Amino acid sequence: MPEPAAALLRPPRHRVDPRARRWWTLQALVALSGPMLLVALTMTVLSLLFFPGALPWLGPLLLVVLVVPAVSYLVVMPRWRYAVHAWELGEQAVYAAGGWFWQKRRIAPLSRVQTVDTVRGPLQRRYGLATVTVTTASTAGDIKIAGLSHADAEELSRRIGEAAQAVPGDAA
Amino acid sequence: MSAPLDPGAPGTKSGAAPAASDTGTPDGATGEWRRLDPRTLLVHCGWLAAPLGSMALTALATGGRITAKAWFTLGALAISFAVVTTIGLIRWARTEFRITVPPGRDGGAGDGGGGARTFDVRSGLWTRRLRSVPLHRIRTVDLTASPLHRLLGVTVLRAGTAGSGYGSKDLSLEALAAPEAERLRAELLAYADADASANDPVLARISWRWLRYAPLTFWVIGGVFVVAGSGYRVLDGIGIVPWKLGIVRQAFTELGAGALWLTVPAVLLAVIALGSVGAVVLYVENWWSYCLEWTDARTLRVRRGLFTTRAVTIERARLRGVLLREPLLLRAGGGATVRAVAGGLGNQDENRKRSGLLPPAPRTEALRVAGGVLRAPFPGDGSPAPLTPHPRVALRRRRVRGLLFAVLPGAAVLAGLGLAFTPVLLHCAWIYAVVTTAVVLWLARDAYRSLGHGVDGPYLVARSGTISRDTLALQRDAIAAWTFTTSPFTRRAGVVTLTAAVAAGDNGYRIPDLAADEAPGFAAAAAPGILEEFLVRPGTAVRLPEQRSY
Repeated sequence: MPEPAAALLRPPRHRVDPRARRWWTLQALVALSGPMLLVALTMTVLSLLFFPGALPWLGPLLLVVLVVPAVSYLVVMPRWRYAVHAWELGEQAVYAAGGWFWQKRRIAPLSRVQTVDTVRGPLQRRYGLATVTVTTASTAGDIKIAGLSHADAEELSRRIGEAAQAVPGDAA
Repeated sequence: MSAPLDPGAPGTKSGAAPAASDTGTPDGATGEWRRLDPRTLLVHCGWLAAPLGSMALTALATGGRITAKAWFTLGALAISFAVVTTIGLIRWARTEFRITVPPGRDGGAGDGGGGARTFDVRSGLWTRRLRSVPLHRIRTVDLTASPLHRLLGVTVLRAGTAGSGYGSKDLSLEALAAPEAERLRAELLAYADADASANDPVLARISWRWLRYAPLTFWVIGGVFVVAGSGYRVLDGIGIVPWKLGIVRQAFTELGAGALWLTVPAVLLAVIALGSVGAVVLYVENWWSYCLEWTDARTLRVRRGLFTTRAVTIERARLRGVLLREPLLLRAGGGATVRAVAGGLGNQDENRKRSGLLPPAPRTEALRVAGGVLRAPFPGDGSPAPLTPHPRVALRRRRVRGLLFAVLPGAAVLAGLGLAFTPVLLHCAWIYAVVTTAVVLWLARDAYRSLGHGVDGPYLVARSGTISRDTLALQRDAIAAWTFTTSPFTRRAGVVTLTAAVAAGDNGYRIPDLAADEAPGFAAAAAPGILEEFLVRPGTAVRLPEQRSY
């Protein structure tokens, strides 16, 4: 056996579609940043209308607690994610990297693959993207590759399906 | 309280075999009768301490004046002392034990028939009783010593056979000198037939001596609610609302009026006592007539329960490993529980209820049962290759995490409130900070020491946790995927959390804070055929991810 302690895990070869950045931005806007900014805006307007005296302390508070986090999440998260998200279909296994702050690299052998699902959400469809989920018998072994282009997703799921059939295994 | 003297018993089992047969004491070789330690007599006098102590206190309080009543008590004490000591002396003189050797045979370990070595215990005053057990039938030898025993340097030895533990069928010797007991244990276990032990279908039965571990579980807290809840329900059933009773109200007002430094510990003690009762009740309800056995070569069955009886059958093919769980309190008492890592036990909640293989029991027993389930020695502490420790930075991470999440928020809130309202809280703040810091540092060190991973034969072994220290032995070929999780903090510290995915038990088993440069190699060695093609030598230039290149 080769000396195992020296080996490092390299990142997967292929990045996801660049349009994924816009998708993640939109997602952030809808799910987190948008509501936060809206709350900040509403409170500012209400304060202006009814309690103008509160503005000197409320303004900075809203800025620090709501506006700055919302905007930085909106700006940072999609770029960071794009730098991390990657995938690769090897000869024996599927390999995917995901996350941004907490990053996750997962490798599942093709012999364990049970199903390959391609999902296109409403937001994803706007940008022509899809998510490929490769499931194994273990819920902690499911591989999710988000932000692939439609063509890539189809090609990938077809190839994983073929490879999984070619590699002997009971998928248990 | 009693505690096993030697936690590593299964490990010594095989190692002690040749030594014992070589150096076997002359007594054992000739099969002569041996006696218990005379210090046993002193142990029997232990009960005198309480009445004598209370009398001495009374005498002190009354200024040395001994009343007629006291004389009477003293007389009664003297008589009972004489009786107890005489009985103890006779029992000591009449209890003997030996290890017999079949004539004309030197070492042949119990090959059945009349030629087997046996462990004999002879006792009784009027009814002489001889109990004889072939050595190869002995499964466990348990040494326990109460604080009094330990003070006198003696220990109680109990030898359990297959399927014993029901009632008091064990052979017990009370008491032997500690080194003598150790030697006898080695002798007894030297001939315990490991194969028979592995082939014995019954792995464990309930032993009510394990009840002492019940209060060391979480249920000591849950038990309070159980007891209080059922009490309330009974009262509610007969139409009484407790807090409208005069007695209860009076008790509350008196409690508030009394000295707090006395009432608070008293209430705490009462709650702990109540919780212990609840824990014991739950233990009995859950583990009544517990039996763990191989019903045939391929199925493992657990039966248990008093009112609700449960029987769980686990197919051997679906059994992927064993988890040895030692929660903090239970570990302090030398106990552990065993859980199965098996597929098909239902969802997470059902799996938690159904995967229990052994109730809180002595650690040696837990290791033995875990080994019986795996049909191989449990590869944890007893294995030849100790677990690889994790990098030192993991200790720092645990300390920082504890200080950040336990010490800082509490102290900050108390200090803030103290500054705003009353300076008493400022004192509370620093006391809280000092106490929790000490606790956190201790827990962090314990958690770090728990960390370890390794490969032992067909098993991946990983240990972690301090509140609940879990040692996992997982079949290597059951691993379905590897996950490497990092955060900016762990990347800077050079560690990574590795998760093994299996289609059994909790599905994902974490090995936290491995050295980042060792983790991929370890994962590849533990479960070959998953990630080798994605490994690179550290020297080679890493190609950055490309864009969509088919």
